[in-house]
Amino acid sequence: MRSGSPPVPDGTARVRAVSRTRLWARVSRWLFLLPALVYLSLFFGYPVVKNVVMSFQEYSVATFYTGAAPFVGLRNYTTVLSTDVFWQALLTTVLFTVGSIAGQFVLGLALALFFQRRFPLGGLLRSLLLLPWLLPLVVSGTTWRWMLDTDSGVVNEALRHLHLLSSGIPWLTGTSEALVSVILVNIWVGVPFNTALLYGGLQDIPARYYEAAKLDGAGRLAAFRHVTWPLLRPVAGVVLVLGVVYTVKVLDIILVVTGGGPAGATQTLATRSYELSFQQFEFGRGAAMGNVLVLVSLAFALVHLRADRRARNT
Amino acid sequence: MNSAARPSARRITALLGTVALVLAATGCGGGTGSGSADGKVTSITALDYYTDATEHAQWGERLTACGKAAGVTVEHRSVPGASLVPQVLRQASSRTLPDLLMLDNPDLQQIARTGALTPLDRYGLDAAGYTEGIRSAGTYRGKVYGLAPTVSTVALFYNKDMLAEAGVAVPKTWDELKTAAAELTRPGRYGMAVDANATFEGTWQFLPFLWSNGGDETRLDTPQAAQALQLWVDLVRSGSMSKSVLNWTQADVHDQFVAGKTAMMVNGPWRMTAMNKTKNLHWGVAPLPVRRPGQTLVTPLGGEVWTVPQNSSEARRQKAARVLACLNDSANMLALAEQYHTVPSRSSVAARYAEQVPSMAAFVKSVEGTRSRTGKLGVEWPRAATGIYTAVQAALAGEQTPQEALRHAQRIATGS
Amino acid sequence: MKRGPARGPLSTVVGIVLLALMLFPVYWMVNASLQPAGSVLPSGWFPRHPDFGGYATALRDQRRNLVTSLVVALGSVALSLGLAVPAAYALARLRLRGTTVVLFGLLVTQTVPGIVVANALYGAYTDLGLLNSYGGLILADSTTGVPFAILVLRAFMRSIPGEIIDAARVDGAGRLRVLWSVVLPLSRNALITAGLFTFLFAWGDFLFALTLNTTESVRPVTVGIYEYLGAHTNQWNAVMATAVLASVPAAALLVAAQRHLAAGITGGALK
Repeated sequence: MRSGSPPVPDGTARVRAVSRTRLWARVSRWLFLLPALVYLSLFFGYPVVKNVVMSFQEYSVATFYTGAAPFVGLRNYTTVLSTDVFWQALLTTVLFTVGSIAGQFVLGLALALFFQRRFPLGGLLRSLLLLPWLLPLVVSGTTWRWMLDTDSGVVNEALRHLHLLSSGIPWLTGTSEALVSVILVNIWVGVPFNTALLYGGLQDIPARYYEAAKLDGAGRLAAFRHVTWPLLRPVAGVVLVLGVVYTVKVLDIILVVTGGGPAGATQTLATRSYELSFQQFEFGRGAAMGNVLVLVSLAFALVHLRADRRARNT
Repeated sequence: MNSAARPSARRITALLGTVALVLAATGCGGGTGSGSADGKVTSITALDYYTDATEHAQWGERLTACGKAAGVTVEHRSVPGASLVPQVLRQASSRTLPDLLMLDNPDLQQIARTGALTPLDRYGLDAAGYTEGIRSAGTYRGKVYGLAPTVSTVALFYNKDMLAEAGVAVPKTWDELKTAAAELTRPGRYGMAVDANATFEGTWQFLPFLWSNGGDETRLDTPQAAQALQLWVDLVRSGSMSKSVLNWTQADVHDQFVAGKTAMMVNGPWRMTAMNKTKNLHWGVAPLPVRRPGQTLVTPLGGEVWTVPQNSSEARRQKAARVLACLNDSANMLALAEQYHTVPSRSSVAARYAEQVPSMAAFVKSVEGTRSRTGKLGVEWPRAATGIYTAVQAALAGEQTPQEALRHAQRIATGS
Repeated sequence: MKRGPARGPLSTVVGIVLLALMLFPVYWMVNASLQPAGSVLPSGWFPRHPDFGGYATALRDQRRNLVTSLVVALGSVALSLGLAVPAAYALARLRLRGTTVVLFGLLVTQTVPGIVVANALYGAYTDLGLLNSYGGLILADSTTGVPFAILVLRAFMRSIPGEIIDAARVDGAGRLRVLWSVVLPLSRNALITAGLFTFLFAWGDFLFALTLNTTESVRPVTVGIYEYLGAHTNQWNAVMATAVLASVPAAALLVAAQRHLAAGITGGALK
């Protein structure tokens, strides 16, 4: 993490002669930020620190009542990292995240571009796209589980009706298919998010830029490349980084749809961490696993911030 | 909260400007909790996982009645099953445990180990006359911490019409089970269904096969265990059992059975109410098959125990203990057993129940031979349980042979 | 004209097909909700003998919970936007030192699993007396909404042309004034989007609602749904009916809000 003071691009921020009004000007800027910062440090500071501390302790069920949790240094981390399950879970997490994000973003962008043009009922249809987000995950996850059942699921039934296959695809019971299935379900959950944000971003691109591009004789593809994409970048960047951060920690969907099975094929760092903490009551190790997950997310976040800063400086 | 973590945690959090919340959270770590110390207790709280509206109401009535006898009102709350233990741990750390707490029996030892529960002998309660399984499940380090009014286990449910139509008798051995399942299988229908989910529920359904064949959770990579696992693998390989069992919960298995998509299933008696409501479903129930005739059927003990958590007020604990005793008296045992098709946990009451409700006689008999999941391993059980479902999943998915899968399970169970 | 060229009804047809594909699972849920109690596996593509028992049950039990969900979700939108708008403005336009650090901190908050926050908040809430209160739940439910709204609003606000703001500043407007009368009207899209999702985050929350309430006084629909999922029986038709019923007023609210604000946009877009 590179903290401290990032290069401030223009000199107006540095005030040499600090008169009272100028001091006020400087302080007042921070006042805009202050309420949010106070809220966030209250609601995240303590939990985060506690979780980090917990990961260096032997934290068992008894600790909850007695408070006694001896420090064990890095032992939780070494134990967690040295199992072969960990590396499998890490790989699954990466595949799950990359697959989900790629699918969500591409589909989301395509839908956002589609809805960008006005047509009858467009606004209503766009609003209805958000409907899946109004349904609790335990409900939509269960529905998907029924739909993807090998024998009686409606997905296989439809494929059979269309003569696309003769025997059912083991969506949830094949070790490689199950990962594809949870990725598909997660894409389904994520598309409305991507569409709505990207659509909002597209709306903010002034029409005159498109008109100018048209006058220059640019086709639709060129307009996308030279107008849409560069101007959508800040929003697209946030969509991607938040998408990654949210996807890495996805828990409910996997637990409801496959429970991490079959044979651990859909176990990610998040489900492992949950399993360690709340099934095996190894809270210290669960916290260690959870922090590894946080680090994985932060790696993505840093990449995003670098790109963001570069964009700001140009 | 936790004293060891406090100094460093505080330093860092202070840096982050979270002083207020931290002080609030840790300052009252050893606080007094709720309850008046003056002995005039008018209400106590109870927590369980009976979220289903009907069940919640029924338990509410029972708790109210027992509370009345003890001179208190009972504030009854239910949280979803999977959230109960996390909730209890949170409450333990902030000293806000309910006065009366229900736990699924395999969780009791974990919670008792924290020191958050009180031994029941303090209130003059003991487990005399209770069947062995529930007594050992409710005991931690030689002391009884929890008592269950009724217990249950799993058995083989079958569709009478389908068996009659195929001319198949109710299977008593594994070979008969395989043959029967194969003969009952039709297009769009399987002969057999189990829950082989990647959860403790999957483990629970595999245990009767493991235990009855002489397998044991203390040593998973044995030939006996491999034979049991091979049975499930054979059922799936031969197409008499859907591979989807890998993904089915007990509720799903029940739904498949009720929808006529499977002819036989492993499930518990608590499904009987729903099955009786289903039109045109003629079902029967029998003990689960064993590998060869003469083997004794050993099934896992199911049921929820009631406990009295360690709260600050002695008066409240006394009241809670009286309500607990009332829930476990003969009349309530019988009533609860009839309501949920379970079995009273005191042998004498169970015997009377078998006479009154002949349809439950089979269950009364099999409950006598139930074994507690935590009886041998105690607080180490969750690891072994994880090992078992992992092995079942790996073998049924075709990733590993039963032997390989169980060797891996043994490594998980011992944490190596 | 602000948007791309208008297109004909062909797009509407394509849009309906796309939407039908996306919403098929929702249809399947409706199908399941119309099955009679007990047999939850939808037996056909259409509910041939629809049974409204699930809806009757859901209507009877869940009305209050539905109101609670709406109150909490709207409260969370108000809180999140109230905190996020000035913060996003500061991060996007005020050239603060340490912007990157703050942004990094915001992203860190989003990586923390909900259960970790919930565990810690339970202890704090117990001592502060915030358990079983609307305020407490709104505060907790905004833990996703606030950082999310800041990040999203900031990304949008950065694309506001600097000349517009500079012009207002030259005219002597204070920062608060600029935010209120220049930046906010130009950020309507961002506000809709951020508000929409803070609403949805709070609406879908289950963990905080369950953790931070020890009585039944504040109970949103997500928790209410568990009335039908028991330890021993599952009434899936009632679960599905509740989910469907609960989504109707919320969906109506979202559509109405979007339409209202969208009207504002076209009005303000003639710049």
